[in-house]
This record gives sequence, structure tokens and C-alpha cells, in this order.
Amino acid sequence: MVSRRGFLKGGGLALFGIGLGGIPGFLADAVAGTVNSSLYRKRKILVCIFQRGAMDGLMAVTPFTDDFLKAARPGLFMSAAKGAVNEKPLIDLDGRFGLHPSMAAFEPMFREKRLGIVHGIGSPNNTRSHFDAQDFMESGTPFKKGTSSGWLNRAVGLLGHDAATPFQGVSLTSSLPRSFYGENQAVAIKNLADFNIQLRGNVAGAKMAAKSFEDLYDQASSDLLKNTGKESFDAIKMLQKTDVKNYKPENNVVYPTTALGNSLKQIAQLIKMDVGMEVAFAESGGWDTHFNQGKDTGVFARNVNDLSNCIMAFWNDLASYQDEVTVMTMTEFGRTVAQNGTGGTDHGRGSCNFILGNSVNGGLVHGIVNPLAKENLEDGRDLAVTTDFRSVFSEVADVHLGIENDKVLFPEFDGKKIGVMRG
Amino acid sequence: MKGNIRNFYICAILFCCAIVFSSFIRIMGGADKIAMPYKKAGLTTEQAAAHLLSRFTYGAQTGQIEEVTKMGLEKWLKIQLEGKLDDNDLKQRIAQYDAINFSNSDVEDFFPQTPRVTRWAIRDGYLHKDSTGNGNSKYQREIIQGYMKEKGYRPLQELYRQFFNQKILRAAYSENQFREIMTDFWFNHFNVALNKTQCASFVPAYERDVIRPNVFGGFEDLLLQTAKSPAMLMYLDNSSSSGVNIPMADQEMMSMSDMGLSNEQKSKKKERVKKINQQIQQKKKQGGLNENYAREVMELHTLGVDGGYTQNDVTQAARVLTGWTVAPLGKQGYGAGNKGLIDRLGPDGLRDKGFVLDGDFFFNANRHDNGDKVVLGKKFAAGNGYDEGVELLKMLAHHQSTARFISKKIASRFVNDVPQASLIDKMAKRFTESKGDIKSVIIAMVNAPEFWSEQALREKTKSPFELAMSAVRSLNAEITQPYELYSWINRMGQQMYYYQAPTGFPDNGQYWINTGSLLNRMNFGLALASQRIPGVKFNLASLNNNKEPESVEAALLTYSKLIMPERELGQTVARLKPMLNDPNLQQKVAKAAEQNSAKKDQNNSGMDMQSMDMKPEKKEKMKIGNGKKANENPPIKLQAGNNTMLAQVVGVIIGSPEFQRK
Repeated sequence: MVSRRGFLKGGGLALFGIGLGGIPGFLADAVAGTVNSSLYRKRKILVCIFQRGAMDGLMAVTPFTDDFLKAARPGLFMSAAKGAVNEKPLIDLDGRFGLHPSMAAFEPMFREKRLGIVHGIGSPNNTRSHFDAQDFMESGTPFKKGTSSGWLNRAVGLLGHDAATPFQGVSLTSSLPRSFYGENQAVAIKNLADFNIQLRGNVAGAKMAAKSFEDLYDQASSDLLKNTGKESFDAIKMLQKTDVKNYKPENNVVYPTTALGNSLKQIAQLIKMDVGMEVAFAESGGWDTHFNQGKDTGVFARNVNDLSNCIMAFWNDLASYQDEVTVMTMTEFGRTVAQNGTGGTDHGRGSCNFILGNSVNGGLVHGIVNPLAKENLEDGRDLAVTTDFRSVFSEVADVHLGIENDKVLFPEFDGKKIGVMRG
Repeated sequence: MKGNIRNFYICAILFCCAIVFSSFIRIMGGADKIAMPYKKAGLTTEQAAAHLLSRFTYGAQTGQIEEVTKMGLEKWLKIQLEGKLDDNDLKQRIAQYDAINFSNSDVEDFFPQTPRVTRWAIRDGYLHKDSTGNGNSKYQREIIQGYMKEKGYRPLQELYRQFFNQKILRAAYSENQFREIMTDFWFNHFNVALNKTQCASFVPAYERDVIRPNVFGGFEDLLLQTAKSPAMLMYLDNSSSSGVNIPMADQEMMSMSDMGLSNEQKSKKKERVKKINQQIQQKKKQGGLNENYAREVMELHTLGVDGGYTQNDVTQAARVLTGWTVAPLGKQGYGAGNKGLIDRLGPDGLRDKGFVLDGDFFFNANRHDNGDKVVLGKKFAAGNGYDEGVELLKMLAHHQSTARFISKKIASRFVNDVPQASLIDKMAKRFTESKGDIKSVIIAMVNAPEFWSEQALREKTKSPFELAMSAVRSLNAEITQPYELYSWINRMGQQMYYYQAPTGFPDNGQYWINTGSLLNRMNFGLALASQRIPGVKFNLASLNNNKEPESVEAALLTYSKLIMPERELGQTVARLKPMLNDPNLQQKVAKAAEQNSAKKDQNNSGMDMQSMDMKPEKKEKMKIGNGKKANENPPIKLQAGNNTMLAQVVGVIIGSPEFQRK
């Protein structure tokens, strides 16, 4: 195993620390180790949002001219025609696809060609088990369960730095997601405010303990404990410089007070703190809509509303960082073309995803969605997967993060890119 | 003549005795004799006892090193390898958890999965299908709760909670510590996870019946039993794998030439072949072969990734294992689809037709691919059904690559993260000689000088689970709410039973130690020592036989030694001394602690919220186990002066770098 701490090369790095007046050691190290970079070179950041439960892509972005869909979903189909009674119409994107009305926040981004959509995206493995499909999508090896690392962890390893910071890969979850399993630096932080030495109600005690710990770890005989200890205390100090609890977003942005909103808000904070984060991960739940998923209102509408509002709050908050950031959503599979007996949809195959960023080939619905006649459906029931998720993930990672070695990112994949990014 | 016969018998008996005796010697006194070369490595018996306890228990309790030294290290290990101590104390502690004794069928009957309950509630008219909205509405939840209560169903979270609790209590209190350690090791090796709902219900019985009883036996048994367990069959999808099953007569018919057949016979044959091919297509459409288990059983369970198998071996092995699935469990649980078939055929019919019903395992001959297969160069002749799979697994269990792979994994767990090749050689040799006897391999490990070398001593990093357990054990803590510890372990980076990948948790320091998890380790030490973890109590004074240390410094020394016996404490003590000698700080801390005790109740509930903040529990907050909530605890009496300071010191010791190692 290559030690991820090979960068701690001793003396020279301390100079950086002094010269910069208290810049955390690991950042100085990281910067020092980066080839061809100025000290505060802005890093590119990829933000991934996993929609767990399998989003109904056909409802999020509806091929509304498709009569087969209309027939298969008498209780769920929405039209783009304005003037219907008691029902908001779809947002007509291109005469064929309509965005769910609760995602109106996305429309301007699509019109400005900064938001791209891929339809018919999914896994070549046709499992319809949430667990297996998520597992495969996160490991990035759709036919291999035993892959020990996740694709985002491998991405972190491919970023081409000699050095790493503890925040290079951050997941805003309570435990590390499968995407981040692996040997490269990645950390799960649910709540930035908790990133400290804590002794509830006893601030003096906590401070004293922190001092003791810092001393003890500084003298630790194990390099792993010593170096990680130093990183931890450097990180605390850095986070303390900003008031994470009373964070004020730019542009008077108000984040939705939902789990996703909270995660994205903290990702924005980390970006602005310039802690060296390059890959961030957040989750969104509630997509497994077997029962009464609703149309322009109801559970699905609420979910897409939250998704789009959170992402747009994040985007607007990052006004001066937008060139550096790309946001990509993903979900394990789509849902059946036909509605089921309980006003919902069951596990299907192809779905769609959203990619937002200034280098996205936006304003387009990429991919192939054939007319939803039975003979065109996968196994006679589902929107066919026409674009391998690895094609899209690798293109986004390649172009945005400058990753060159696709073979490491997705070992068993050599498919074509479809042009979702403006390379 | 008679005398000759008699002499012959005597000789024969003597001969037999000799054979029996010699094999007895071999087992008891030969290769499996425990002879640990710690003295040669320059260790005292106490130091050796400390090392042994650090690896084969969840941490030494106070006084345990002296006990083991007195008893003799070899004897202690021998008893631990049997793992049959009474454990009365533990039994009492876990007696309150009824569900941990449930069979898989009981679990299916009493703890049905939520989507299933929803369906039943609709079927039985309790819930109108139009009123359900993704399981979120309060109204729906109440109806379903009422329905479950009426039908005697219990929420699955309750089963999990009992399962977690007993795991914590076993680690903390079982006398058979090594068995618990090995249970953890083999569970992780043959990992299954609660995140996968299809296998989740079967995980408690898996650990109890498949793993724990077999941890010191033959590797072959472990492999076979895991392969046949519902948890593994569901986790790696073998339960749904099916092969093309063509009756033998048809196979022969298809392979025969058309020569000599009449036209009528020819067209009849053509018709039949067409029909069979249609059936094959149909089968393939239904799902067909699933290679997940076949691949991982070679890559992760036996041979290792470089163990010398190919993709073709994987496919062939998957074909061998088609038909291995789960028996009908419970009244309307998993596998109910096979109930009709099983009832119809009856025991004799099943046997005659090649089906196997063995506990929770079912070999469905109809789904078995009955063609020829070749795995790793070995031919599996067509038509042997269930026995093919058994033969395959036995072959894998005794393969040379397996001997090395398993030996390396055991050594990585118990010696150091990257064990020396010389050690793996010795263990693998013993693995092969003993036909995969795990106990023998462990003895070969402790008999090797590598186990006692500088490269091994304190070289392993405790997992969060081990850290938490070693802390409570070193403080002789009384645990009444084990789930609180489970939550802390999760926060320190080990969500037990939720490791999604079949690899199990990577067992190395690099994985366990990162910035986030390290801070939480320190915070855990502080929270535990200041008695802020609800339901985990201890008495620092009684740890030291109620002797009041004469000075703060003496306290530091005494407690460092109590918590970290047989360790080099110079650095730790030297670093902590200045902190203790600052009277201002002491006062501040004591004062803050006193003030805080008044607010404690509120804070505790805050802590509770945090610990509940995990996916599975989020939906259904409930009181389980002894049902005590944090604020029902009697307020902790704060000891004045030095002792508050003492708690602080103990917290820092538990969070210190030295205590993270074992």
C-alpha cells in the first residue's frame, strides 16, 4: 500500500507555515507538493448528490409527446400544455421533454446552457435491487461486488497531487458512503460544528483536554497517529477561524432547511474556507415512490422541489466560485414506465441525471429515449438504459477535475463519451 | 491355534492403541502444543500476558494480567481456544433480549419488513391504498403501528437494537473473550450487511448459528455453512441464481445424431429441441445465472484475488452453485414460493428427485444447471446436483491459495497490518497439514517468534469497537444502555453491521485513523470518563481499591498504569503533568463541571438526539432493551476537587495515542 502520508517530507514545509502566518500544515504541504501551482491556485470541485431510492426519471423529465407513456400512466402523466385546470404544466424544454413544474428553479440554468440532463442513463447490470444497484454505481464496477474502493475515492487518488489534505474528499453523511471507500483521503462529517474537542458544558475542560491531546499526539511514536493528530488539530483551528454556526450565504440565499440543504450549505462553507476540498458527496432520500407519488403536487413534487431548490441555493451562494464547481446528481435506477396499482411506480432501469456547471454542455437533454412502445422497453417494461453511467461520470470527472486515467476510475469500462461537457 | 488368534488380537489391539495414542500425541503434544517463545523475544511473563490479552480479548480488565500470569499463559490460551466457559454473568445481562434467540422463521413471522407490512395492511383493509404516500405521513404510520400491534408484529429496528446490544455486552463481559474476537473476525471475513434489506432479517441468526459456534473449527465447515445460510445466500444473490436445467434424457436426445431416424421421428425431435430452446430462453429472461457469490467466494472468502482463478472459473462455479437457495421461512416469509413443491413431494420425493431441504437451506434441483462444468481444472460431471456445490466448496476450502490467504488475514488481524512472509509460511503450512483447522493455525501463529517481535507489539490500531470496549473493560464499567456505545462506535467511524461491501471493514490502522474519526476518539474518551455516556457507569476510586492517591501526580501515575498496564508511560505522564500542576486550570475545570451538572439532563437528551441520528433509527425512534432513557438516570454525583480532575485525566488517557494501539 502506498502511504498516503508520503508527503510529510519534513523541514522545508515548516517554512511555508511560517511564511504564511498560520496556514494549516497540511495545506501548506499539499500546496508545496502540487506541481505547477501557485499557492492559492483555485481547485476544481466536483459535488455529487446521490438520490437514494431510484428517481422516476420519466416524471422528472417527461417525454411528453410520447403517447405510449400517456397510456401507461393514466394517473401520473402530465402535459406541457398550459391552461389545464388545477394542474401546473410541465416546463417545455425542447418541444419533446418537459421538466417537472416543481423544478422551475432549474429552468434558467437550462436556458443559460449551464444545466445538462442525461436521459436513459443507468447501469449495464440490470439488477433492480436498490442495494446492489447503488453498490455497483458507487464502486463503479457494475459486475463486481468485491471491488474494495469507491469511484470517488479513486478519483481523489487520481487528482495528481503529491500531497493530500484531510478534506480532499468530504462526505456530508454520518458514515463514509461506498463511493468514498478506499485508500485515499476521505472524511465523513455530518456537522462541521461538531468538528472539535467537545466536553459538553465544560468549555474550560474541553480546552484543556484539547491542549493535552495536541501535546500527546505531537509526541506519539506511531507516525500514523502523530500525523493524523496534527492534521486534526490544524483542521480544528482552521474551522474555528470561521463562524460555522452563523454562516451567512452570499446573495441573500436561503437554503431549504432540509437534510440536503444543510449538506450543501456546509459544502459551500468548506469551499469558501479553501480547505483543499476537491470531491464532495451528499445524499437525498425518499425517491422510492411505490405508493401515490403524485403529479404536480405530492411526494415526488416535494422531492424534486427540494432537490432543485437546494442545488440552486448552493449555486447562487457560490457566485464567485461557479467556474470551479460542477454539481452532478445520480440515482441507482429509474422506475417502471407503467404506473402500478398503488398510484406509484416500481423499480425500473433507465433514469435521468442533472449536471450543473459552467463547463457543462448544457441546455440539452442528452442520451437516447426511444418511443416507449413495449418493444422498445427493457424487459418489456422499463425505459431502456442507453447511456452507461460510467460514460457520464468519467466525462464529468475527466473534464472538470482533469483526470486522465479512466482505466483506474472505471476499470472495466471503455465506452464512448457522449459530450455532456464542453471539453 | 487359539493362542495364535489371541496373540493376533492382542497385537491388533496394541497396534490400534498405538495409532490412537500417537495421533493423540500429535494433537495434544505435537504440532498443536502451545509453546510461546516470548522469553526468547526478551519479554517478561507479564509483558507477554499483556500482549496476549491485547490481541485475544477486548482489552485487559484491571488485575487480569496478574491473573493470566499466575494461571500460566499457555493454560489461559488453551481454555480460550475451547471457548466454553460458563458465562453466567453475561447470560443474565442478555436475558432481557428475547429476539436474539429467534430462528430465521421466527424473525420472518414476528419482525416482517416494513414494505411487506404495508402491503398486508392494505390487503387486510386497514389502510386504503390511495391513502399511502411513501410511508411518510403520520396518519399512515399510526395505522400501521396499530395494525402491527394487533397482529403481534414487531418493528425490525427492535431486533437490530437487541442484536447490537448483546454484541456490545458480549464483548464487554463474556468470559470467552477469544471466541467473541474470532466471531468478529469471521463475521467480517464472511461479511453480510444490514443495509441490504433482503438479507438483513437473517443477520442475527447468521452470527449466532453460523459464525460463533464455528470460529475455532475447520475452515471447511465455516465456508459450507456460510454458503448455505440465508444471510449469505441473499446478500450475494446466490438465492436468485438459476441455471438451465435440461432433463438428462433430453440432453442425450439432443446430442444424438439424426442418422437412422424416420422423418416423423426427425420432425418430432426438431419440435422437442425447439421447445427446449424456448425454455432456455425463458429461463435466461427470468434472471438466470448470478455470479456474485461465485466470484466473491473465490476472491474474498477462499483463494484471494491473486489466487489463480479466471472469469471462466467464476462462471463455471456459479453454474455449480445454481439452485442453492433459501428454504421457506415462517408462515409467509421468504421462499414461500417453494412451499407447495416441498409439501407435494414430501421428504422421500424430495430426496428421490435430488432436492435437499436442510434447515433454512434449500437446494432446488429444478433451478440447478445440470450440464458439465470445469472449475480450476477440476471436472464436475453433469447430474450430481447438490453434491457438486459441496465438492466445489471443499476444494476451495483446502486449496493452497486459501491456506495462504486465510493465514495472511488472520496474521493481519492479530500480528500486524503487513505480516511477515515467514510467519504466513508457517501458518499456511499448518493450515494445510491440519486440513484447515483454525485452532491449529492460531497456535502456529502464537508459537512463532514473529508474534512476539518488536514489529508486533502494540503495532495494531484498535478499531472503534475495540477502543470503546477496551475502555469500558479497563474501567470495569457497568453498562445498562449498550446502544449508547454502539452510537459512539458509529461516530468513531465503524458503523457495525453496515459495512456495505462484501470485503468487510479493512483491518488496518490507515483505515481507522483519519481526522474526523480521531477527534471522535478523543471526544469519546472525555465523554466516557466524565460519565456523560448514558447507561455507562464506573467508579474511579474503587478501581484503585478506594485508595485516595496522595497527590495529583500520584493519581496520574496510578491511573495511567491501571488503564494501560505494561506500557511505556513516560511520554504520556510527562505531557500531562503540567496540566495537572496548574491550579488555575484545575479550579476552572472543577467549577465548570459543577455548573454543568445542573444542566446535565438537557444536555443528555441532546446527546441522545445525536446518537439517534442514523439512517435506520431515524424513522422509528423507540425505546428498546431496558427502555431507560438518558434522563431517567440518577444524576451523577460529582466528586469534588481532584476527582473531577481525575476524570479529565482518565478521559485524556483514553483518547491518547498510546491507548489507540493494542
